[in-house]
Amino acid sequence: MDIPVQNISTDKFLEKSGQKSIERDTAKSGTPVCITPSGESIIRIDHITKIFKEKNRTVTAVDDISLDVNRGEIFGLLGPNGAGKSTLIRILTTLLRPTSGTACVDTYDISNDPEKIRSIIGVCPQNSTLDVELTAYDNLEFYGKLVNIPDSALDDRIWQLLEMTELADRANMKVQTFSGGMRRKLEIVRAFIHHPLILFLDEPTIGLDPESRREVWQQILKLNEEKTTIILTTHYMDEAEKLCNRIAFVDKGRLIALDILENLKRLIPAGDLIEIGFDMIDDKIVTAIRENDLINSVQIKEQKLIISAKNGSKVLPAIVAIFENFSLPILSISIHSPSLEDVFIYLTGKKLDESNNGEKQSALKRQSL
Amino acid sequence: MIRGAIAIFKRDFKKFLSNPFVVVMTLLMPVMYLVIFGNAMGGTISHIPIGVVQEGPPYNETPLFTNAVVELNHITQKDPYPKLLDVTVYTDETIAKGALSKGQISAVVIFPSEVSNDNAVRLYVDSADSIIPPLVESAVNGILAKIGAHNPVQVNEIYGNIKYIQFFGVGVIMMAIFTSTMFGGGIALIKDREAGIHEGYLVTPVKRTSIIAGIISSGTVRAFFAGGTIFLIDILITGIILRSVEDLLLVLLVIFIACIGVTSLVVSFASRFSAQQEYASTVAFLNLILFMTSGAFYPVIGMPDWLRWITVINPEYYGVHALRAIILRGQGLDVIGIDLIALLIFSSAMIILGITTYRRTLE
Repeated sequence: MDIPVQNISTDKFLEKSGQKSIERDTAKSGTPVCITPSGESIIRIDHITKIFKEKNRTVTAVDDISLDVNRGEIFGLLGPNGAGKSTLIRILTTLLRPTSGTACVDTYDISNDPEKIRSIIGVCPQNSTLDVELTAYDNLEFYGKLVNIPDSALDDRIWQLLEMTELADRANMKVQTFSGGMRRKLEIVRAFIHHPLILFLDEPTIGLDPESRREVWQQILKLNEEKTTIILTTHYMDEAEKLCNRIAFVDKGRLIALDILENLKRLIPAGDLIEIGFDMIDDKIVTAIRENDLINSVQIKEQKLIISAKNGSKVLPAIVAIFENFSLPILSISIHSPSLEDVFIYLTGKKLDESNNGEKQSALKRQSL
Repeated sequence: MIRGAIAIFKRDFKKFLSNPFVVVMTLLMPVMYLVIFGNAMGGTISHIPIGVVQEGPPYNETPLFTNAVVELNHITQKDPYPKLLDVTVYTDETIAKGALSKGQISAVVIFPSEVSNDNAVRLYVDSADSIIPPLVESAVNGILAKIGAHNPVQVNEIYGNIKYIQFFGVGVIMMAIFTSTMFGGGIALIKDREAGIHEGYLVTPVKRTSIIAGIISSGTVRAFFAGGTIFLIDILITGIILRSVEDLLLVLLVIFIACIGVTSLVVSFASRFSAQQEYASTVAFLNLILFMTSGAFYPVIGMPDWLRWITVINPEYYGVHALRAIILRGQGLDVIGIDLIALLIFSSAMIILGITTYRRTLE
């Protein structure tokens, strides 16, 4: 299979704002047909909604989500618990039917060709589906047969995967003796046993210790090098930052933003925060700093100068130069880039008033502490 | 300490009440035991089919024969009950015995001709059944006394002296098949579902038919081992003997087909249940009904009509009947053919039910 790996920075679909980036031309979405692969996107989700009806209440788990996943990328679905990430994954992996809307996985429609889709995807669900009473080898062998790997190739493939996960020496031990991280790695490569076009990982590192998480991340990156498109859900911001080319923010079933990491961070108008500690300060310094175009605002708080700038590392030398001009010593410098979490909180929770810069900053600071 | 105990009590009780299905089943079980056990075991046996023959030559009906047939046809166990025997008059002893050996009738009474030496009334009974022969025997003795005939009665047990343990042991084979499937196959299926292993199947291209076929075949083999083991134990403990290799193969065939049927039934049930508790109470209930009405303990003929209807769709009934026919009576395919067909129809229906009810999605 020759799948072009996309260069993310040239992604022509990049858009400036979150919400708008997902609006599509709905006029032509009468009966979308999953035509031949368009080259760019491997998954196209078109206005998918999933409503669960319980006894006396209805829950909209997925609320009119539309998005595309590009071939070869690691795509992150990021959101808090209960945001609808797993439901969306289950719809795409044909475990659930959408209440409305459609989606194409490669050239197949999720409603019409679920079986074809199942043969080109690998899934690692949130809750382990390993048989802990079987050995690692047996688990892989069993799954390999379910996904139709020819017997002649199966044994080699299993050992290849066991080597990849460094579990070869434990091949004949029961999975119940494995640590959480080992199980997770085994389950991830199990989903990958048939070289699927797309690999779905639902919360791949949930409940793992930092060391195991790093190992799982290595594993995921390794698999992505084999030109597999990976879709992962997570509620760990660092995980998304570390792994994902593009990130979709999901909250309460809705898609809030979708972009590459840098662009998401730019969604926060305040930009980076620079804190400069001082002994003495001159108002002229503040005025001089304010003259810089990249700087949004300057505040003095206790013995610190708090500067909000579009590109913190770029303006820092200029600020230091100003201090030097006035021969005033700098006691400390720190730059804080907004984290993904800041972006998320900015987008979901606190709707900051665009005109009130100061409030925005203090809110930001609170979040980053 | 008290606080802890009360907390645990409350929690357990809350859980108990939160599952009304299990509550109902828990209460229903003893009631069903009462109704089914009471009716299946304590029922009054009536309408036992028997044949009567006038011995010859000469083949003229003797007054003894005429009177006895009328009396046999009207005898009841107690007054308001339906008549005990359904009498068919055969003109030829061989035909009557043929009907007996095919299981169409339960006994043959042969009345002596006028020129008989000993004047004995010969009674041939299907001794593979442990309840009916004594009833027929006492009925014959009773009517002879009533019409004032002093003929001696010669009882011939056509399958020899079969003990109750041998009669019952055959039924236990069917029970072993059911319990091994219920606890082994069914619970394992639900545990796998709880452990999410089924969710793992569902995202692979494997078809629903394949999933069910795999589950049923593994369950069948397991049940076959259980049934076969109990059969072996039966031979050792109860002293039943097989007459030929052909009989052995036939027994194994019946056990195997019964295993498919019972496993498919349990799987089709289990594939709809997600909680072990609900499943366990439902299947325990099924086990009760199917085993009680299988005829393993007590002849189906003694059950009330409504209960007898269950036997028509009860795979265990056909299984028990076929196994008894082969093991205790040495009968062949001509007698058990109908049982095999019934078991096959049942199995196919259950496999189809299992496939259609198995959820291919998580909804």
